[in-house]
Amino acid sequence: MTTLTRKLLTGNAAAAWGARLAGVEYLPVFPITPQTEIIETLGRWTEAGEMDAKMVLLESEHSMLTAAGAAAATGVRTFTATSSQGLLYGMEMLYTVAGWRAPFVLVNVSRGLATPITLEADHNDILAARDSGFLQLHCATCQEVVDGVLLAYRLAEDEGVRLPVIVNFDGFLLSFTREPVQLPDADAAARFLPTYDAGALAFRSGHPVSEAVAVLGGTSYSYFRYEMQRAAETALDAFDTAAAAFENDFRRRYDAVECYRMDDAQTAFLMIGSYSTKAKAAVDALRLTGTPVGLVRPRLLRPFPEAALRKALAGVRGVAVIDQNLSMGKGGILHTEVASALYGTDNPPALVSFIGGLGGRDISEGEFLEMAAIAAKAGETGDVPPPRMLYSQSELRQMRKFQAIAAVEGAERLKEEAEEVAS
Amino acid sequence: MFRIRFHGRGGQGMKTASRILGTAFFLEGFEVQDAPRYGAERRGAPIFAYVRADKAPIYERGVIDRPGLVIVADDTLMGVSAAGVMDGVDAKTVLLVIGGEDPEIWRDRLKTEARILTLKSFVDEETSERPYVGAVCAGAAARLVGVVSKARLEEALTQELEEHGKTVISKNLGRAREAYDTVADDEGIIIDVPNMPPAEPSPPDWVDLPLDPADVASPSIYATATSVQVRTGLWRTMRPVLEPDLCKKCVWVCGSLCPDGVISADADGYPEIDYDHCKGCMICVVQCPPHALTAVPEGQAQGEIEAAEGAPP
Amino acid sequence: MSETRFKAMRDMPSAHLLGAGTAMCAGCGGLEAVHEIYDVLGKNTVFVNAAGCMSLLSIYPFTPFRGSWLYTSMASAPAGAQGVRDALDILKDKGRIGDDEDLQVVTLTGDGAAYGMGLSATSGAIERGLDFLYVCYDNEGYGNTGQQTSGATPHGAHTATATGESGYPGFKKDLFSIWAAHEPAYVATVIGSEPLDLARKVEKAATMTGPRLVIALSPCPTGWDYDPQLTAEIGHLVVKTGVWPLKEYLDGKVTHTRTPHPRAPVEDYLKLQGRFRHLFEPERNEVLLAGIQAQVDAYWAPLEESP
Repeated sequence: MTTLTRKLLTGNAAAAWGARLAGVEYLPVFPITPQTEIIETLGRWTEAGEMDAKMVLLESEHSMLTAAGAAAATGVRTFTATSSQGLLYGMEMLYTVAGWRAPFVLVNVSRGLATPITLEADHNDILAARDSGFLQLHCATCQEVVDGVLLAYRLAEDEGVRLPVIVNFDGFLLSFTREPVQLPDADAAARFLPTYDAGALAFRSGHPVSEAVAVLGGTSYSYFRYEMQRAAETALDAFDTAAAAFENDFRRRYDAVECYRMDDAQTAFLMIGSYSTKAKAAVDALRLTGTPVGLVRPRLLRPFPEAALRKALAGVRGVAVIDQNLSMGKGGILHTEVASALYGTDNPPALVSFIGGLGGRDISEGEFLEMAAIAAKAGETGDVPPPRMLYSQSELRQMRKFQAIAAVEGAERLKEEAEEVAS
Repeated sequence: MFRIRFHGRGGQGMKTASRILGTAFFLEGFEVQDAPRYGAERRGAPIFAYVRADKAPIYERGVIDRPGLVIVADDTLMGVSAAGVMDGVDAKTVLLVIGGEDPEIWRDRLKTEARILTLKSFVDEETSERPYVGAVCAGAAARLVGVVSKARLEEALTQELEEHGKTVISKNLGRAREAYDTVADDEGIIIDVPNMPPAEPSPPDWVDLPLDPADVASPSIYATATSVQVRTGLWRTMRPVLEPDLCKKCVWVCGSLCPDGVISADADGYPEIDYDHCKGCMICVVQCPPHALTAVPEGQAQGEIEAAEGAPP
Repeated sequence: MSETRFKAMRDMPSAHLLGAGTAMCAGCGGLEAVHEIYDVLGKNTVFVNAAGCMSLLSIYPFTPFRGSWLYTSMASAPAGAQGVRDALDILKDKGRIGDDEDLQVVTLTGDGAAYGMGLSATSGAIERGLDFLYVCYDNEGYGNTGQQTSGATPHGAHTATATGESGYPGFKKDLFSIWAAHEPAYVATVIGSEPLDLARKVEKAATMTGPRLVIALSPCPTGWDYDPQLTAEIGHLVVKTGVWPLKEYLDGKVTHTRTPHPRAPVEDYLKLQGRFRHLFEPERNEVLLAGIQAQVDAYWAPLEESP
């Protein structure tokens, strides 16, 4: 009989539970805010014998990811977690271990990148890992975090895929926020994820293998890189299969692209991450006034579910693409990705680009309503306004006050100008 | 456009040859590309460098696949298919080989329609060495293309070797001038092809890659010691040869000190050298306690073996 | 500890395990040491490698190894060893593999990684008590990229980035002492030209558990600018002159396994190498030569005073 346990968990605790229920055996770790609670939780469990895994605290994320890849390449189920600067410090190894075809799960708790150094969430960290060969699963709730970790192992260890997976969720907004979480039953989770077998790609005496060897010349290099692309493409179907099995076992459904109230929607928000639930709140509010608005949220970012996105946006007139990231000199990264996915389709919607939520900046209900209105108008007129970086007069006024305190040159005049505009 | 490829061994100065020739062309007012081709190859391993020169901007890039002139600094590379000396060589190509054989012999062996020239006088008969062969290659190439004056060649060489000092420059200048003069009869033999017509139309045979399983599609080797398929013996210009009468069978000395581990004990306890892989460093020759190993020029050693085996010349 | 297999030079292996045909330079002093080490360790090994010359030992589809190999990155080979070691232990504990499937985990890096970029990963691995053998082939510069100055470059040597008349102004970092300060199970210096000393140390290290680290000074014809036939000769001289002390750290004590007596002048070693030619030509740099000699004298003084 399946026992169902519903409890209040932070996103970090949910991630730890995901690793525990996945039967993770090895935990190479390194602390960084806002992820540290994950490894502390796992550390308590392993020390108390509640979780049969070995934890090793490395001296950097670069080493941590090397150890994780090496252990996965030796055939044990491996989990690790990081955030922000840590992800970037380990960036070389993201690309490297993906090429080892070493399947493991890395949780990234999104946090803005230096400079300036900060603590709260945005997605520039995870999007810097976009082209690494890791697959990416993006969560919006604590429930999705625990379920996402289980799904990620199923995907990573799929024979046709064999690529590591990052499960991403937002610092503070999920990492330190408690929500009710339905914990999957441990036995059912164990059935969902049978013992990992690395097959021929493992180090054993009597079974020599030279792995990750150098290649010279573009022919060998291209083959191995192209094959990673083939494996990542295969992961689209593999995800659907894994999600169907998960729904069967646990009664929760995870589509590669979540569509919220999209059935007759003329206008849509398109975004990833936990602020998407604020978009849902805005959708609900607008629906009360009869406005046909919905939300489209890719859970999978790599592989990019282009067909599902095209289907989700078919018939939609205007889309507000909200990027919680910024590619300097270009703009929102998600906007670019969605635009390329829609290129060449019949009657594509107008895509309006918004940048917001950097470093944990809030996106208010009023801003969501305004973005929906702008997107709707762009859909009607075909006239697409330039990208908008969300920032208010009052925020600028606040900055001018800070700059005055910091005694930057001309600060008093700038402060007065800002106050004049306000009055 | 002039398209010239220099083939030699690591350490023979092919990169320098390409730079001297490139600079000489440049001084004559040409647009130029010159580049060495690097790999994991080390001293003694086959390497090549190339030069393109044209009066118009050069849009070609990368390795020259249809050379107008191929210069081989070391004729022992001719039989080494991995050296790629003959890649793209056809009836329009001139092949200049620095070595002891006559052009007819190469024409027979290679079964090529290419025009073949040889330069014998630049090989030391005793040691088989080719002193300053990079300068020789550059000097010969400069004359064969017919558009580089001796003065420009000298100016280019002096520029390129500036950091090596006067003595080195003067020795190299001597060899370059000598080569320039030696090939005078063939001045201008290389045709400046103004515009290459497209190659034989051969549409790319593109393939949709299958999804191979990860153990197949990762850079992993499941066999052991496959490196022995790489014949590093081809790097060798000198060969260690054992005089069994002098050998004290202390094979642990030469066998341990040989970096590549290519010396092991035979059934009678004598050192047996794996010539397929011996790179010719000669550590064994220097370290052999009873001096039972001697260094013999590779060409001479191969000649002696062929003679002993009664092989046809 | 059982008695050594290697009582005399004649006990050195007369056949060799590491496959020939690698891309290492003719006369490579690093390969000389590594093939000797491989003969002692055997094929039940996994070499976890950092970026350097030896990363080109295996070039797809050619490998010289009869056991296993994993290339990682320049900085994190010890962490790769950590992952493999821990995973093998987990699999053994759970009965998923037998003891007979276990492997000796060996980190193989050059001095660039060992003295510089990978030093924090090494320090971490030692402090965690990782059961591994670290082999550093030390050719005193970033050899694979053309011999730029590294933390292992000796005072006065010319490198691609130290081309002035006095060569490199800094001093070779004392990695042996840095490692030993971590109090690992074992630290040793070796050189390929002294195969017996090398074999005994590697044999000893192989029987121990915990962090074991070996630095093999690796004369480099390409980077040090000398005729490849002199690799072993230069190796003998670096020991005879006392420039490279052969020693080991065990149970908190440092023991010299070879005390050159009498010590030859450092010039005997320096003058064979192009990287030190500027000390002798166009005229002798007496100050620098005396400085190098004095440094070696100072090292040996306490050892030579005590009986």
